[in-house]
Amino acid sequence: MKLSISPNVHLVEPGDFEPADHWYPRALNSNIHPLVSTFLNLSHHQIAERYLRLNPKANLDAILSILKYQPKYFRWSGTDMMHVTNNEGNRKLTLIETNSCPSGQKSMPLLDFNYEQGGYRRLIEETFKDMVDQHDESGALAVIYDKNPMENIGYAATIAEVFDENVYLAQFKNEDTDPPVQFRNGKMFVREGEDHWVEIRAAFRYVTQEPWNRLPKNSRTLLLNPIEACLAGGRNKEVASRAYDEFNEQFKDKGIEIFTPKTFRNIPYHQLQSHFDKLGGSMVIKVPDSNAGQGVYTIINQKELDVALSELASDPDELYIVQQLIHSNYNEGSHTKDTWYHVGTIPDNKGRSYAFDLRMMMHATSEGMRPLAVYSRKSRFPLNQPLPENMSSWEVYGTNLSVKGDDGWSYADERLILFDVRNFALLGLGIDELIRGFIQSVMAVYAIDQNAIKTFDKEMSFN
Amino acid sequence: MIKNILVVEDDVVFCKLLTRFLDKNQYRTHDAQSAKKALSLLEKESYDLAILDYRLPDDNGLHILETIKRDNKVGKVIMITRYGDEEVASKAIELGADAYISKPINPDELLTVIRGL
Repeated sequence: MKLSISPNVHLVEPGDFEPADHWYPRALNSNIHPLVSTFLNLSHHQIAERYLRLNPKANLDAILSILKYQPKYFRWSGTDMMHVTNNEGNRKLTLIETNSCPSGQKSMPLLDFNYEQGGYRRLIEETFKDMVDQHDESGALAVIYDKNPMENIGYAATIAEVFDENVYLAQFKNEDTDPPVQFRNGKMFVREGEDHWVEIRAAFRYVTQEPWNRLPKNSRTLLLNPIEACLAGGRNKEVASRAYDEFNEQFKDKGIEIFTPKTFRNIPYHQLQSHFDKLGGSMVIKVPDSNAGQGVYTIINQKELDVALSELASDPDELYIVQQLIHSNYNEGSHTKDTWYHVGTIPDNKGRSYAFDLRMMMHATSEGMRPLAVYSRKSRFPLNQPLPENMSSWEVYGTNLSVKGDDGWSYADERLILFDVRNFALLGLGIDELIRGFIQSVMAVYAIDQNAIKTFDKEMSFN
Repeated sequence: MIKNILVVEDDVVFCKLLTRFLDKNQYRTHDAQSAKKALSLLEKESYDLAILDYRLPDDNGLHILETIKRDNKVGKVIMITRYGDEEVASKAIELGADAYISKPINPDELLTVIRGL
């Protein structure tokens, strides 16, 4: 390892991987829950057959073709889902968002203690390496990032080992006026010294904040993931929502669908109030390209709507996504079948049950999409207690751990729920929910990747 | 005998990698990514060694060095300079730094410098 070969660039060498640097201590010392381990080892056929038992109207061939799908652009992804039920007790996993730079490795117990680099190595060996080997460009390897150093140092160290060469680890922040990463004619360069730039043939990319400001389309440097995956829905909730609708239309006679809360797209500022009224006095407002829980407003009363409206007033031309709220015990919807409630965690010894999400990270391998890491995050305040006066409903419904502070991003990891022997049972999830969640996730990736192909391949042939 | 070290450097990854490395070598470390945070840590605790980067978002390492020397809260100081910046290095030594090391930094070389103090 050579630290600071230039400002915000480090050189990671083979042999630099240190497990304690790339996992939360409690994840590193945990034992994976046997049920989760079983799920992660299921074959595509086992998953598809089981899904068919759970959803008899689903078409086996359609499920298998989606599981074996080879994404062109979106080969590493993560979804956030919530475990919901309606008044009839019909439980589902609903898709909240799909992410093109998902975190998760640092929270994932090792699947095999003899495989020390765990999911880091599986992603690099089974996805990134094949892509790099087939990519005919010269130059070095890099990891570029703007968040999550713990995992990105881990990826750089794993790449160094798998390829047996040094890897440039470069911070590429949106606000950096003199960034150490440049693109020239679609090729990436990383600053090595004062005036020396190194050509990069392939880069692992964890650039999350408005990445389209910095990453070009049709990059000559191979990127995992390329910006096309973000633009087609991996980092824009509005575009993703349209892609899901197209998927559902395409597969409606195959008995499968991507299930999301009822969604309204392109809502102008002045229509937010009428949507609030129409949805019975509660909703979620999302800024389409927001992430890490920023730009998402859960609204359960007029006072919260007024606060959101005053914050959003600074950008009156923005078009928002409005979604039906998934309710708690103390905020009920009006429709019998179409109102969804959080199932929540198993009540603790004080009777408290919390909303939680399920993050599922996946990657494209030679056999198709495979699950890679899973974890959950719970909200701060329980679902089954009345909300104290002046407490925001975000405390009940918000599960994101990212916290933006003076020193950059940090994580409220006390709300992280590992899928280990100690904690997984607290979620009340079974292997069938993991299968359902995985199928939902793979369908979302398929939808976004197809959207990318439709959008950018046509654009490229036109050019 | 150096036991506890304060690392002052604005690059989060640099801090993380270096403090991990020093921890593994039996040192107790704290880190700060700004002069403000460094000074606030120095108000609460004394350190055997401070490793100071020259370039910080809210000040420069030489000013912290002056404060450290004035308040006598740190035993030794190593200044990190940018890529052969001799001017900063000589100024740091003049102000009382015990050593300087230029970027890029090989942690093993830094360890040798620390052990030699």
